Amino acid sequence: MATILVNGVKREVQAPSDTPLLYVLRNDLELTGPQFGCGLAQCGACSVLLNGKEVRSCITPLAAVGDKEVTTLEGLPARWAKQRALTAEQAAKTLHPVQEAWIAEQTPQCGFCQNGMMIKTTELLERVSSPTLAEIKEAFTTSGPSPHLCRCGTYTAILQAVQRAATRMTKGSEIL
Amino acid sequence: MMANQKKLASRTTDVFGASLSRRGFVKAGGALLVGFSLVKADAMPKAEAAVSGNTLNAGLPQSWIEIHADNTILIRVGKPDFGQSTVFTAYRQIVAEELNVPFEAITNVVSGDTDRTPDGSGAFDFLQGGMPNIRKAAAYVHQALLDLASERLGVPKDQLSVKDGVVSGNGKTVSYGELVRNQKLNLTIPVKGDVHSMFGLTIDGDPPLKPVSQYTIVGKSFPNSVTASKVAAKETWVTDVRLPGMLHARVVHPKTLGSKLVSVGPLDKARFPNTQVIVKGNLVGVVAPTEWEAIKAAQQIASGTKWTDWKGLPGDQRLFQFLKEDADWKTTPAETSKKSNGDVPAALAKSSRKLSATYQLPYLKHAPIGPAMAVADVRPDGTVYVYTHTQNPQALRSGIAHMLTTSVDRVVVRTFAGPGHYGRSNGGNSGAEDEAVILSQAVGKPVRVQWMRPDDFQWSTQSSTAFSDVEIGLDAQGNLTGFQIDHYMPAMQDDRLVGAILAGLPTIPAPNEKGAVMGVRNNVSDPWIYDGAPAVLERAHGTFQVGQSSSPINVGLRDHSMRTPVQYQQNFPRELAITEAAVLAGADPLHFRIQHAREKRLIGVLESVREAAVWQPRSQPPVTKNGVRQGQGVSALFRNGTYWACVANIAVNMTSGAIKVEKMTVAVDPGIVINPLQLKRQIEGGTVMGVSISLREEVRFDESGVTVTDWRSYPIATMADLPEIKVVLINRPEVGKYGQGSEAANALATSAIAGAFLDATGKVARRIPLKPDYVQALLRA
Repeated sequence: MATILVNGVKREVQAPSDTPLLYVLRNDLELTGPQFGCGLAQCGACSVLLNGKEVRSCITPLAAVGDKEVTTLEGLPARWAKQRALTAEQAAKTLHPVQEAWIAEQTPQCGFCQNGMMIKTTELLERVSSPTLAEIKEAFTTSGPSPHLCRCGTYTAILQAVQRAATRMTKGSEIL
Repeated sequence: MMANQKKLASRTTDVFGASLSRRGFVKAGGALLVGFSLVKADAMPKAEAAVSGNTLNAGLPQSWIEIHADNTILIRVGKPDFGQSTVFTAYRQIVAEELNVPFEAITNVVSGDTDRTPDGSGAFDFLQGGMPNIRKAAAYVHQALLDLASERLGVPKDQLSVKDGVVSGNGKTVSYGELVRNQKLNLTIPVKGDVHSMFGLTIDGDPPLKPVSQYTIVGKSFPNSVTASKVAAKETWVTDVRLPGMLHARVVHPKTLGSKLVSVGPLDKARFPNTQVIVKGNLVGVVAPTEWEAIKAAQQIASGTKWTDWKGLPGDQRLFQFLKEDADWKTTPAETSKKSNGDVPAALAKSSRKLSATYQLPYLKHAPIGPAMAVADVRPDGTVYVYTHTQNPQALRSGIAHMLTTSVDRVVVRTFAGPGHYGRSNGGNSGAEDEAVILSQAVGKPVRVQWMRPDDFQWSTQSSTAFSDVEIGLDAQGNLTGFQIDHYMPAMQDDRLVGAILAGLPTIPAPNEKGAVMGVRNNVSDPWIYDGAPAVLERAHGTFQVGQSSSPINVGLRDHSMRTPVQYQQNFPRELAITEAAVLAGADPLHFRIQHAREKRLIGVLESVREAAVWQPRSQPPVTKNGVRQGQGVSALFRNGTYWACVANIAVNMTSGAIKVEKMTVAVDPGIVINPLQLKRQIEGGTVMGVSISLREEVRFDESGVTVTDWRSYPIATMADLPEIKVVLINRPEVGKYGQGSEAANALATSAIAGAFLDATGKVARRIPLKPDYVQALLRA
């Protein structure tokens, strides 16, 4: 049995230690934001943050999580609330600015890959507050084990949403 | 008031061919429900199937539209949304418009479940030639509500007006909610067709429609209500479906597309104590309580399982030689297009300049980001519940019933959000549903089958390969004298359930010479658009799927329609050949098109794209700068009531052969634009897929099967490939209809990009993808 820290909460897990984190999250912890796309770290649908770094949960064994904190799509609003020290009341009605931007730009089509796109964007914008077009493209193509793939072809809408999120996140303490 | 209502109770009145019945009072609530009755069935067995599968009682929850006493409205749609947003935006806008209620009044949209929705068919047919069922259903409801209001207010119907769901006349008002309060109103509307067929039910009759000139809701960019729940991780995806007692399964698929099972590998019971191996014919399923155990046990079983060998495919290197020399194009007659006219051979014989060429397109993969998966629950009483993501749930229901030799009444298909299929499941199945049913039946518990990434590439259907032979003649002035094109393509709609085939259970026949929609016959898919050409001959030739009948398990390369099907295969040769003809004539390819066009809407999109792309007729030969040459190309298309034109700007690295698509400009005239933002997003997506198939995609296969297994061997466009995309929407309310097929930009991108390559290099790329090796070979030639 292992105990892992997920979205700020310690969770006990019965799964064998070689189980990929993706199946632990989806089947044992009912955190279904990350999706199974390939099981090969080739598409990015399963991305989560591990201590703030985007990893592919489909090839990350449970044993490799250790005491690092896992953040899933479900945990993005609380992550933002904590970073901005929002009150519980404020936090309850707040999505992460990245999620807000994804809705404002109507980015998803089928939406199956968008978990990874939003996780990758969160990682990027926590590191670089106002990324250039080249930095955004680099984040989604060469920065990780593979490009983040979208078969619906929403890359334009993703770019626009990243830029919108960056603007929102750099607007000081404004809470939206 | 009460006396008046009692008088009206238990009556039936006619509403433009629909019938409105009132059945007394209910204590709380009240509603107007819209059901249907079959007006004329083509054949009795079909009619019975439709009746038994979907009761005609409009009081049951298959109603299209429900008007509630609290002024909220619910709509039900059999076609599931696949990311187009149509169900959640366009349909709500259309209904709100016809009923004169705010968009927000439609608070609930139920879609895609066979026991909860009417009408059937699939996402490919959302707008049904501009007259979607939901528009007519709303128009009938509007008339019924006006009848009720007329009676209630004592004002003649033609003196009533409606705004925001409130009917006014002669100084009196009543809301829709008040009209239905404490009443049980059923509006039964006439329909035709077979709900389980590919095209489902179609609403009959001609209820008066709201004049387009009075539209206030259609034409605005309403957001997709599902987007927020997907983004906030609140949506229940198909991948999230978990049933009590459910087991996880993986399937060990045969070694080749023609292999039979020899022996199943031994299971290590010490490592996998809770795993069961289910064998039915050539279907090997591995079922376990946890997903990880199912995956590891399946890997172990697979490594020890023996299959017969098979080498019955031509292999991708010999594909076009096989199609040209060995395939049977005679069994099914060629189809000549309706727009063919004039004496083409005579015109060609008299031409002063001629062009003769062959164009080739490879097999493609639909390549959803999530591999096929489904949950099935075959219950002890024989009822079957399938939880999946399919474009056509009623057709899947029929296929599952056929496989089990049971009645469709006993099968329910529920659908959930999932990865886009791009046409793969428009005839019912996406791949894993039948396997889940077979395994659930075998183990007596709900079973979740998830295909792994290689299963999805190697055991799903593919978009058909095709080639076309073209002959063009020009007169001395450079005008088209004759255009002849022969399209060749294997059957592209194999909706058989592959698990059923492997298990030896009943399926519909493979595409054959007798079938109509599902047959071998090819057709000319969209009409010829250059009416200025005096003689045109366009023919389509069909053949059987490659390797299917020679496969000992009747599988081979199974094909299926994919985004802009047939049109994509035919637009590439047709439009690239037009560009070549323009070059041969010494004319500008865009001007050449306008010169040969007669239809105003076609000329309109071509002029729009010319302006938006800042198209410059080439005055000098291209020059190489820093090893790179730039070029521009154009293409056009008329499909499903929508006119399209596209300009591609590309850069060709003359040394490496790498192509960068720098900018794509797309002008679209669909008639009435329903939702500009959502339409723009769809066009952007289709354009990216077009760039992807132009530059990257090709299904590699050897003599035994598909050899692409993952995203490395089947690369698709990434954000690095993203061009600047400019979309121009042309709204023409006067057309009166909604053109459909918002995703079709993929079909234009290929021919525009190949045209741009010709412009940049002077070389013609008559096949795609334009991979560096191929480009280098062309440049050397």
